[in-house]
Order: sequence, then structure tokens, then C-alpha cells
Amino acid sequence: MKAARILYQMLRADFLERVRRYSFLVTLAAALYLAYGVATEKVWIVVGDGYRGVYNSAWIGVLMSICCSTFLSLAGFYIVKNSVQRDSDTRVGQILAATPMRKDFYTLAKTLSNFAVLACMVGVLMLAAVGMQRLQPSASAFSLWDLWAPFLLFALPSTLLTASVAVLFETLPGLRGGVGNVVYFFAWTASLAMGVSGIDDPTGLQLLYRSTHDALKAVDPGGADNFHFSLTIGGERAVRTFQWDGIEWTGKVLLMRLAWIAVAVGISLLASLFFHRFDPARVWRKERGLKVAPAMESEPGAAPWGGASVPGPLSPLVRSGGSQFWPLVQSELRLMLKGRRWWWYAVAIGLLGGQFVPPDASVRSWCLIFAWMWPVLAWSQMGCREERYSTGALLFSCERSLTRQLPALWTAGVLLAVVTGGGMGIRLLLAADWHSFAAWLAGACFIPSFALALGAWTGSSKTFEAIYTVWWYIGPAHQIPGMDFMGTTPASSTLGIYALGAALLVSAAYWRRRQRLGYA
Amino acid sequence: MQLAIENVSKRYSGDKWALRNFSLQLKPGVLGLLGPNGAGKTTLMSILATITRATDGRVLWDGTDVASRPDALRTTLGYLPQDFGVYPNLNAVEFLEYLAAVKGLDAASSRQRIDELLNLVNLADVRKRPLGGYSGGMKQRVGIAQALLNDPRLLIVDEPTAGLDPEERVRFRNLLSELSGERIVILSTHIVSDVEATATDIALISQGTLVEHATPEELLRRVEGKVWEWVVPSTELNAARQKYLIGNTARRGDGVHVRVLGNTPPVGAQPVTPNLEDAYLFRLSQHRAGATT
Repeated sequence: MKAARILYQMLRADFLERVRRYSFLVTLAAALYLAYGVATEKVWIVVGDGYRGVYNSAWIGVLMSICCSTFLSLAGFYIVKNSVQRDSDTRVGQILAATPMRKDFYTLAKTLSNFAVLACMVGVLMLAAVGMQRLQPSASAFSLWDLWAPFLLFALPSTLLTASVAVLFETLPGLRGGVGNVVYFFAWTASLAMGVSGIDDPTGLQLLYRSTHDALKAVDPGGADNFHFSLTIGGERAVRTFQWDGIEWTGKVLLMRLAWIAVAVGISLLASLFFHRFDPARVWRKERGLKVAPAMESEPGAAPWGGASVPGPLSPLVRSGGSQFWPLVQSELRLMLKGRRWWWYAVAIGLLGGQFVPPDASVRSWCLIFAWMWPVLAWSQMGCREERYSTGALLFSCERSLTRQLPALWTAGVLLAVVTGGGMGIRLLLAADWHSFAAWLAGACFIPSFALALGAWTGSSKTFEAIYTVWWYIGPAHQIPGMDFMGTTPASSTLGIYALGAALLVSAAYWRRRQRLGYA
Repeated sequence: MQLAIENVSKRYSGDKWALRNFSLQLKPGVLGLLGPNGAGKTTLMSILATITRATDGRVLWDGTDVASRPDALRTTLGYLPQDFGVYPNLNAVEFLEYLAAVKGLDAASSRQRIDELLNLVNLADVRKRPLGGYSGGMKQRVGIAQALLNDPRLLIVDEPTAGLDPEERVRFRNLLSELSGERIVILSTHIVSDVEATATDIALISQGTLVEHATPEELLRRVEGKVWEWVVPSTELNAARQKYLIGNTARRGDGVHVRVLGNTPPVGAQPVTPNLEDAYLFRLSQHRAGATT
């Protein structure tokens, strides 16, 4: 009973803390927009040769729950992956660590509080689903169970799993920071691939796949042979419909879904093995993998500030009056790169050489794509570093901090892009391929501008890490011309857009910083 | 060199005023800004350090309105905030080099300055260690060093001795006294002994308003003949607290020795020489009494 009360109070405090943040409201708004897309027939699940299910409760429920679980399993992770970190930052963790609280209890409580935040969004969408069926003119008879069962059995286990994975990532030293944010995206795409390749997956795609396949086969045996499944947003509408009465929730199916709850609990308990319990000797306080020793006052070299006398007066400061822009760029670059290990540089150099040496153009292109992914954690600090390390008051009280430090920071970010992608740039210059060179340069300016704007507006590196990774995957990695900001796609026509985008993003960052300073 | 604060007010969300019509004229010397937690000290410091704008009123630095030309002040400002962080991967030299560049100092002169400052705060031996491994007191000393980087004419230090041990605190007080010659130093704190040791002027602030601006001697004069030492049995201490304004207490063999502040002494109390803490408590209680009536 006492344990339940402690669990409830931990969950409640964490839940309230997070639902009162803007990020929660923004994600909820995005989820509701997705629901609106479903209601206005902008979001579709197309099965077979252009079929969709008739709008009954089962189809609406599954459509919305799949959208919900897919969206929340990605965006939700980034929303909730901060619960342990926050306890560490606020020093509440040290208070908790001094109580009899058990490690597995803590990670379980964190999982449940993550889940409560995400489940709250699922709950809102469940209510929206009722409204949607009422508003949908072609919707047939209403069945609450058919409508809500996919939410309960697809979306909720999926979000519980996301909640537990977020805690696991927070407890694993290597995955706690930006690396984890990037790694999770690839893990997420792999889990979706599971769903369409015949393996039961957390979001329930595979179950839906099998169920709709069987129903469609009864209507259009030929079409079912060419079965495919896609979630289309704003694409061509499915014109043909078929009757689908929902998933048959057999004992086996229920067991499969409930198994994900057991997996989530297991992951949560696994996380407790790695949880540092806020022990300063084990807390990895640096983001970039460099372990910091605990505070060193007891060490021989701790340098006490003893004695009551003060050394002689300071020499007068001579100001040269010249622009100190480049030393500041140098310092910003040092801040971005300091603490990185030798292998980080080795990989960057390897990718740099790979853009220049190999005769195969596609190999060179891929090297650039990866070269501009590799420094993502350096760029993601731009614009939010002051927030994160509480150095804002030191910097913003300096003369011309807005017109000197911000441009220096941006220049350092561009230099990083130019150097890491320099192999391709030199090759394009030597080949006098001016259009491609301009596209490459636009990409080199766009990436740090994007990082700077997102950092300045959100105050967090996570937003850039998540959005950039998704964009990198969809755009450059899949070489979709409009989305390829690196200009690796032949005859890219978006060069001007990205150059303009870079300028707008820098302006947005400047405006935000100016607003933050309260002074011009 | 003059800093003028004219009717400065600051309102946060809704109707919450952190400062109301705060006015003060400052000339070179150390101003001790004393007040209880939540009095508005940090808000005033942030306004003076050009971190936030005042809702009403203005701050003039040598006659220039800081709101319209903040860089006129920033060029010559040294600021040690109450809460600040450091970049854990950088060492002390790199961190100070970075801030020197942000402050617009050239590399050659800042290098010499950094060496001197690290000696001054006794961090020269650990200059190459990442800041992430520094103790709280050592980080505070890095903060002190960065505030002095640009040889400021206005030095604002907000709760600077938090995190320092007693020896470091003494050292810091001495440093402030040394530095105060041709500068305006504003020392914001709620630790009276810090102010007692260094301040040439004291501003008492409570509930966002200026309660008193005077020299320490003036403040002490006002409480002369109003401080008493009284010995009470420990069982009667709570009752005494209800009846009198009590400052310091100390347990001794014959009972609890309490410092009573007031115009009328308790029976058996002996007059004692007032200290600044007595003056601070007395003036603050007067202000509170005035605010409630």
C-alpha cells in the first residue's frame, strides 16, 4: 500500500510537471492535427490495389490508432526522454537517492509517468475518434468497442513500450545524449519495417496487415495477391472500398498484444540495472562521452583559495579596438569540438577522403551524406548551449553579444560543414560544376542555420537531433529531390529554396535571441 | 562615473511586481544590497546587468540611458550572476578565452589578463583541468575571474559567496575591497557579515522597494540604545520570541543569551553595542510593520 502511494506520488509529480510544458501541448496539437487529417480524408490507409475500408467504427478506430501509435512511438519518445535527466538537473534525484527507494521501483515509476503523458494524448485522440465518426457523413453504425479497441490494444501497449525504451536510453551512458536521439530514429524505422515484413510489431501494423489482407482477399482475390499497405498523407485517394469489420480479438491476438506490455516492463527492469542512482561518481555529466570526475575539492590539487591577502593589483587592460570576430569563431569551433574522441575525428577524416578519392560518384555522394550526419551532435548545441549550461547571463551581459556572438556561432557551424563536406566541395570546384557547388554550399549553410534556429527557439538540442535525422533519412539518404538539402541529387532544383531557407532560419534565430535578450 | 537608478519598476506576469519605484544614485565604492530572499535583489541586478528590461523607470550610466544604449554599459560591466554554469569540457583558460572573445578583448591582452586572474583566484595550478571536474567553490572563483576580465568600472556580484567556504569568503571580501577604488561595486547578498566587511554604502531592499540607503555608520547610529542582551531559560525562549524582536541567540550555562531589539527592554536586559545585523533586522521589522499598518 505504501509502495503504491509512493509510486502514485512520483508518477503524479512527474506527470504534472510535463503536461504543463509547451512541448506537451505542441505534440498534442500535432496529434490532433493528424486526427483532423483523418477526419477530413487527408490521411489514408490504402490496402491492395487502391482500396480503403468503409467508414465504420472498426476502420476509423484502426486508422486513427495506427496513426496515433506510429506518431507517438516516434515523437513521444523525444517528448518523454528527459525524466531521469530532469531529476538530475534539478537535483531532485539526489534527494530521491537518499530515500529507501529501489532502483527498479524508480525506473518503473519513470516508465509509468512517461506512459501517463503519452496515454493522455491517446485518450484525447480516443475522444476525437468518437467525434470524427459522428462528423463523418459516410460513416456507418457506431460501436464504441470497435472504435476504441485498437487504441486500447495497439496504441497503449505501443506507447508503454516507447515509455520504457525512453527510460532505458536515459540510463545507458552511451545513449543518454544526442547519440541516443539519433539511434532511436533508426530503431524506430527498423520496428516499422518489422511490421511490414511479417513480424509482430509494437504498433500493430502486422496484425492489421494480416487482417485486412484476409478481408480484401474475399472481395478481390487478384488484388489481394498484389497486396500492399501504405499510410498516405495528402496522396491520391483510394477510390474503392471494402468491408472490414475489425480485427478478431482472439485469445492469441490478445496475448500477442499483452506480450508487449511484458516486454515494456522487462525493459524498465533492465534499465534499473544501468541506472546510476544519481551517484556523482557514476553520472556521466558530459554529453559527448567524456566522463567527468566528481568534484575535486578533496584532491591534492584542489587549489584552496586560502590566506586572507590578495596578490598585487591587476595590470591595466589594453584594448586594441580591432574586431575580435575570428578569435570568437575559433572559440565557438573549439566549444563545438572539444571533448570529442580521436575516433570521431578518424571517422570524419575517412568520410572527407571518401568524398574526394573514390572514382565512383555514388560512393562519393554517400560519403558526403554520412559526413553531414556525423557532426549532428556538434550542430545540435547551436543556439541552445547557453540555456543548457546556464551561461546565458554571462554571455548576454556582454557588449554586442547579439551582433558578435551569434554570427560567430553561425560561422563556426558553417565552417564545420564546409570542412567535413570539403572533399565534395573541392571536387566540384575542380570540375567547375558550379551549379552543384552552389547546391553544396547552400547545404553547408542550411544545416547550421537550421540547427541554430531550432536551438534558439526550443532551447533544446533534441528537436534538431530528431527532425534533422528524420529529414536526413527521408531527403538525402533516399535522394528525394525536393527534400535533399545537401544537393546530392542530380539537377537539384531546390538550391535557391535552401539558400533562402538558411537566410530565413538565421533571421529567425536572431529574432528569437533578440527577444530573449530583451535588448537590441 | 555614476550609476543612476530612477524609479525602476519590474512587473512579471500578471500583477506580480518584483520592484516598485526603486531609485538610487551610486558613485565609486562598494554598495551592499541587503534584503531577505525574494526582496527583488536579483531582479535589480538583472536590470543593471542589462539582462532584462525594467517595466518602468530608467537606468543611467554616466548620463546614458542603458535601455536605449545597453552597450555603453556592457563594455565596462563585470557581472557575476547568482546562478551560472560553465562549459564542462573546457578548462579554465579556454573558458576565460572564450568569454574574453565574446567581450571583444584581443587575444594578446586577454591572455595576460587571464594568467593574472587565475593567479588571483588561485586556480593557476588547475588551469588545464576540465571545468566539469571543479568543485562549487572553484567554479565560483572562475565566475569571479570572468567578471574581472574586461577590467570593469561597474562590477555587479549577486550572492557571490554562496558556495565558498569561510576562508574563501574572507578572501573574496578582501578582493572586493581591493577592487573598489575607482569602480562601482554592487554586492547583493543576504549575508550581513559580507556587507559589514566590505560595503561603503548599504541599500536595504524589501518587497521590491528601497527601505534605506545609508552608510553602515548611519545605520548603526539609528539602532543605538535599542539593542539589549537578555538571559532567558530555554523553556521561555518561544514565549520571548512571541513578545520581542529577537536577533541572535546563544546557549550558555546560565540560559539562552538573546539579543532583543526594541525601544523598551525586557526586565533584566542589559544594553549592548549594536552590530549591522541588529540594524538590518530592526530596520526591516520597522518596514514590515509599516507595510502591514
